Amino acid sequence: MYQKLLTILLMVFFSSQIALAQSGSIVGQVTDADSGETLPGATIMLTQLDRGAATDVDGNYVIQNVPAGTYNLTASFVGFRTFRQTVEVVAGQRTTLNIAMQTGAIGLDEVIVSGYAVTTKRETTGSIASIRASDFLDVPLQNTEALLQGRAAGVNVTADSGNPGAGFRVNIRGNGSVNAASQPLYIVDGVQISFDGLSTQAASTSPLNALNPNDIESIEVLKDASSAAIYGAQAAAGVVIITTKRGQAGRTQITARAETGVRSLARNVEYITSEQYVQYLGEGFAYVTGQSVEAGVANRRTFLTNFFGEDPFNPGQLANTNWQDFIFNEGVTQRYNISMSGGNQTTTFFLSGGYEDTEGTAFNTDFTRLNVRSNLDHQISDRFRTSLNVNLSRSSQFGVCQNGNFINCPISQAMFEAPMSFPYNEDGSYNRFTRFGLANNPAVQMEEVDRVANVTQIISNMNLIYRANDWLTFNGLVGADYRNTDDEQFRSAIAAPAQGGYAFYAARQVQNFNTNLVANLRQTFGGVHNVSGLLGTEYRRNYVETRLVQGNGFSGPFFKVLAATAEPVTAGGTFTEWRLGSYFANAKYNYDEKYFLNVVARYDGHSRFGNETRWGFFPSVSGAWRISEENFFDVSFVDELKLRVGYGTTGNSSIGNFASRGLYSALGSYQGQSGLRPAQLANVNLGWEEAVEINIGLDYELLEGRIFGAIDVFRKDNKELLFGRPLPSDSGFGSITENIGSVRNEGIEFEISTVNVNTSGFTWSSRFNVAFMSNEILSLPEDTDIRENDALTSLRIGQPIGLIQVPRWAGVNPADGRPMWYDGDGNITFNPVQDGDAIEYKDGVANAFGGFGNTLSYKGLTLDAFFQFSFGQWAFAGTDYYFTRTPDFLMNLTTEVEGRWRQPGDITSYPRAILGGTNYPETANYRVQQSTQSINNASYIRLKNVSLSYSIPARWSEQFGLSNVRVYASAINLITWTAWPWYDPEVAFNPTDIYNNFTAASYPTERQVNAGIEIRF
Amino acid sequence: MNKLKILLLVIAGGFFLSLTACNDILENVEPATSVSGETVLTSPEGVRALRVSMYAKMHENFAYRTEYFVAPSAFTDETRNRPGSTRYQNLTVAVGTSGTSHIASWGAHYNIIQDANLLIGAVEAGVLPDGEFNRFRAEALTIRAFALHNLVKVYGYDPGNFDMGDLSGNWDAGVVIRNEPVIDVADADLRARSTVNEVYAQIFADLDQARSLSNSLGTNNSYVTPAFIDGLAARAHLYAGNWANAAQFAQSAIDMFAGSLQSTAGGVANMFDEAIGNHPEALFKLVVNPNTEGGGFNNDGPATYTSDGFLAQLPTQFLIDKYEDGDHRLGWYRNCATAQRVALNQPTGCADVNTGEFSIVKFNGGKGQTVDDLPFMRLAEMYLILAEAQYKAGNQGGGIAALETLRIARNAGATPASFANLTAFEDFILDERMRELAVEGHRFFDLKRLKRDIRNPNGTIKMFSGSYRILPQIGVGLRNVNPQLVENPGYAD
Repeated sequence: MYQKLLTILLMVFFSSQIALAQSGSIVGQVTDADSGETLPGATIMLTQLDRGAATDVDGNYVIQNVPAGTYNLTASFVGFRTFRQTVEVVAGQRTTLNIAMQTGAIGLDEVIVSGYAVTTKRETTGSIASIRASDFLDVPLQNTEALLQGRAAGVNVTADSGNPGAGFRVNIRGNGSVNAASQPLYIVDGVQISFDGLSTQAASTSPLNALNPNDIESIEVLKDASSAAIYGAQAAAGVVIITTKRGQAGRTQITARAETGVRSLARNVEYITSEQYVQYLGEGFAYVTGQSVEAGVANRRTFLTNFFGEDPFNPGQLANTNWQDFIFNEGVTQRYNISMSGGNQTTTFFLSGGYEDTEGTAFNTDFTRLNVRSNLDHQISDRFRTSLNVNLSRSSQFGVCQNGNFINCPISQAMFEAPMSFPYNEDGSYNRFTRFGLANNPAVQMEEVDRVANVTQIISNMNLIYRANDWLTFNGLVGADYRNTDDEQFRSAIAAPAQGGYAFYAARQVQNFNTNLVANLRQTFGGVHNVSGLLGTEYRRNYVETRLVQGNGFSGPFFKVLAATAEPVTAGGTFTEWRLGSYFANAKYNYDEKYFLNVVARYDGHSRFGNETRWGFFPSVSGAWRISEENFFDVSFVDELKLRVGYGTTGNSSIGNFASRGLYSALGSYQGQSGLRPAQLANVNLGWEEAVEINIGLDYELLEGRIFGAIDVFRKDNKELLFGRPLPSDSGFGSITENIGSVRNEGIEFEISTVNVNTSGFTWSSRFNVAFMSNEILSLPEDTDIRENDALTSLRIGQPIGLIQVPRWAGVNPADGRPMWYDGDGNITFNPVQDGDAIEYKDGVANAFGGFGNTLSYKGLTLDAFFQFSFGQWAFAGTDYYFTRTPDFLMNLTTEVEGRWRQPGDITSYPRAILGGTNYPETANYRVQQSTQSINNASYIRLKNVSLSYSIPARWSEQFGLSNVRVYASAINLITWTAWPWYDPEVAFNPTDIYNNFTAASYPTERQVNAGIEIRF
Repeated sequence: MNKLKILLLVIAGGFFLSLTACNDILENVEPATSVSGETVLTSPEGVRALRVSMYAKMHENFAYRTEYFVAPSAFTDETRNRPGSTRYQNLTVAVGTSGTSHIASWGAHYNIIQDANLLIGAVEAGVLPDGEFNRFRAEALTIRAFALHNLVKVYGYDPGNFDMGDLSGNWDAGVVIRNEPVIDVADADLRARSTVNEVYAQIFADLDQARSLSNSLGTNNSYVTPAFIDGLAARAHLYAGNWANAAQFAQSAIDMFAGSLQSTAGGVANMFDEAIGNHPEALFKLVVNPNTEGGGFNNDGPATYTSDGFLAQLPTQFLIDKYEDGDHRLGWYRNCATAQRVALNQPTGCADVNTGEFSIVKFNGGKGQTVDDLPFMRLAEMYLILAEAQYKAGNQGGGIAALETLRIARNAGATPASFANLTAFEDFILDERMRELAVEGHRFFDLKRLKRDIRNPNGTIKMFSGSYRILPQIGVGLRNVNPQLVENPGYAD
């Protein structure tokens, strides 16, 4: 079933019975040239017809109803070199072609989906990363975005949250926008997915949760402008094309999988115990009051006992609660999938159903998904073909609040609750005296609060393809992405005493519709002039509607529904939409598959912009030269060498739907009446952000396909960036959005795949990719730096977005244990000033990231280990830094304080004990003073995925009537190597974070260990 | 057959093309909750909604709902942080020799002036019935004057005090005056700070004009009333040192106001409780509905800062010691633990701020969800203005009489029949203003206008009256946008 490459626009043609008389057929068997074993699941294609078949369990294939003529036939299978041969088909006859495939990599014959058409890697002139189903076979991830992590060069994927079902920040080739930061455009079988109207109760989520990763055949990332320009105004942040599996004619194949596993935190933070806490505070008290440490300890013990109360289970003692363990617990995960693939000459189907339930580690967090998919293809006649894809999913995501110093969020509570506090009294009732009172006792948050997002989503499309003649095909597509999110939050009267408990519901509806009509052309003249192209038009409408309702006051702990509340308090609702109309064209020419030229143009009109700037034009041009095809090129170990050059423009329209208009908004109310107030001034000249990119790449294939890969160098200049030009605030307006500013991203991407060993029965293959990137602001409004002295959010010309500016840490004064910093002149200071003493220290840009993996297989046993890495990103962990290093608020303290200064002469990294950050005389507040000490290296290498699988020999499984039985064990995030001292080095504040240098109580990434079984019959 | 199909496809294709070819389909997208300015300003419903917004902006804004009331106390000696609490800790620890923490919310006031300016200058006569039109103008003029006064009293020295700063000679910079509506981006021009005297002239002109339209106003004190116009005039004249005018308008406000001073223990103690007294002395208050207006103040309302929620700013022993036994106003001080309606913290450490473990319950979340109505001006303040202004205008007997009227109502003990000198009188008035107006937004500004040093509750100096820290920093943020804004003296350029 590997490497069947099926797409929306071009797929397997099956001729109608009418055509039979003029047709012949091709049959044969595919085998491994080395061992002679048959190869089931190999893909046979006739290039001229874009038609093919897959081999059955015995390695046999049949392609029927082939019009008489001469064809280029290719056979491909993972781990083998593509086989190519010309075959002659005679009317009414059967041509037999047996194929013996040589081991090696698939390389340049890989078929890729590049937007409205498919092509082969050989023909590609732009920069496209491809990921196949086989790359993530046993990877137990919920979300498509997660599959990209580390697997596509230049695509930086960072988990926004460890909450099962959470979203990701996906950054393709750097951060090119400041105020219109956007996600890539995701397209599933031609349906453009909307990221609007997401749940707020789940805290972090993604619309791609609707897809079951088991249904995905391939993911293509269009990285450079020349490949993405066909998507014009939506493509500046890159395009991700997701293609799902399709059916193959032949006996119905059923695949069933079941797996289960356990989730736990990938990393913990060490906090001190109550006794260590008392000792620390005692020393601090002694320092502040001048008393002895013994007296201080006694005093603070009494103080803490009064403050927190006695341990209910050890009267007279302080409690010693491990809040981290209370809040983060192991979660169980289970998933079941079944899929069926089959069909006949005219109709094929791929049906699948899946169920998944993954419990997160933070209490209550959970993600469940039930989905079904039906992909049908039908040949109506010899010229008409249609397909219908339907994906239905229902998911429930239990979220917890996160991303901020919130007293009622469990993630921050793990830092806010000291070991001396405790969740329950002896009688099982809630402790009223946790750090922020009863309502914010983590146990109350666990048991008295529900936050859940129930999402029903339909992603569906229908295609009608008309093949007018050999060189012209029309393809009409109607796609719908319909998402209904029911957001619920329930708080009992204990958790929400001010309201007497409440129930909040939000119904969020996204109606996202796109349709297009594309004419595809392909013709060869004189045997060497290959011309192809497409011409199309598209329309998309994205409509979002929200309705909110809240009722306050429950009579008792009996109900959770609105009807049981005493008072309706919120009834809100609104809708918003945007529309996009487009024309696009693509012309390709190649001479003898040696010289390639590709021209793309898209003309987009967007409802967000005023009449003056509504329509934008996005062109690109690219070319390629297969050097290895030249006669003068004679390097025996190089099979393929192709130089690519591309240049193009894409657009970014990610601004407010009505940002160009002068508006008054319905805001505010007084005495039961609603207000209207000026919200923004009109700007008729507001236009698109543009990304102009040049890409130079080299594709290579060496040693008969044992080594292949690509090198790409790019420079992307994002121009006309949208900035709020500040207005004098005495005007009442903050700013007006205008197109000013530009940012440059440059980088090198390197990919290599190798087949290291391939002897009889044993194979070892490797893959590696890395991208080196830099980011620089080229211009800003009025050539003035924005927030120029700010520690984390400055925007300065010549510097990267995410620059970190802090004073230098000078260590602890050995004489008296005070913290010290350097001033701007390099002298020791105890009171650094941000404006004068901060240096340009680090930045939040991951300069080098990628992944590498090895696959070892021997007979039925396969071991795959995949590592993902990110280097160069530095960040400030706000909540940890502000609240777990000093006892100002009597919150958790990390074990860092155990290395504190105690007596003159001590050389330590932590100063002497204090009661509060302001205790050191004539010294800046140690709790809040930022410095190079507060900025941590978020670089890491992760054993992202490791899996071990074993296929039971066919001679055994066949006795049970099964064609294949495979058992496997896998893990994600098993080991992380990092210098990051806090929970999670994956720093992304939200999916559109541009600075990437700050995190605050984000739900940490989780580790998962799974075991499963897959049965085919 | 094939030809028919081709025809079908052509038709289908033409349909798709026509969808996109039509620019209209891209143009006819309208927002759900926004309309154009023209629509708002030319329809009676739009103008009425704009007026609602003007009032709403006050209760929505931290500068008006919490900073206005609590900050001037935390910045001086009326309140201090309960140990472990952080709300307004920056103000309580602020000193006169370093730092920038202050009661400064430049933009918040102009945000309110923005709506007022539209009501005053962008609504054509005829859009509304005359009476309503005049009423809205009178309200907008008064609110603009109120916002301007709140701005100028913090950003500039008070009239007559321009020599106060140690660092500057005669510093009379006030705030930007913007009287015209901003309709187009060109209207948002850059302006320099007007002088304090120019700002006061504008305030008085606005109030005069409002007064000329005041017969259109009602007596509902949750909107602007004639009594509030004169009350505000009295307050502004007091700051400006126009004693006769201050006294005259204070008397006028007292006369126009329908209510009278509360004089029973319960009446005084519960006057701020919306469920009992419900602000019988308020000349102007904003009524806040916790359910419909933003879902309550969450955790940044005045109650959350003082007697509810975080229990952060507690009355100092210094303040409580100002009262004599039996003073009805002691009813505003209650046990910090039992007075807490919504506990965000265990009420430990109250005794560290005052021995009685009191919190001050003027703001106590009486409307639920930590929300209170916001009384911006009370009748008692008019008596205090009347007393101070008459005394300083030369009518010492009249001044003491006004003071006595208030003190009798509050059962505050005997009022001195005379004072040794003006300073002694001022000292007494300052104390009386603390007793009456604690946590109502006066203490810092009273000390500032009377050129007094800011002290800690234990008497140590927090800021000398000549410290540059008496005025706030304008800040690089504002000055980068508008280079014409000069920085107040002592802050880095």
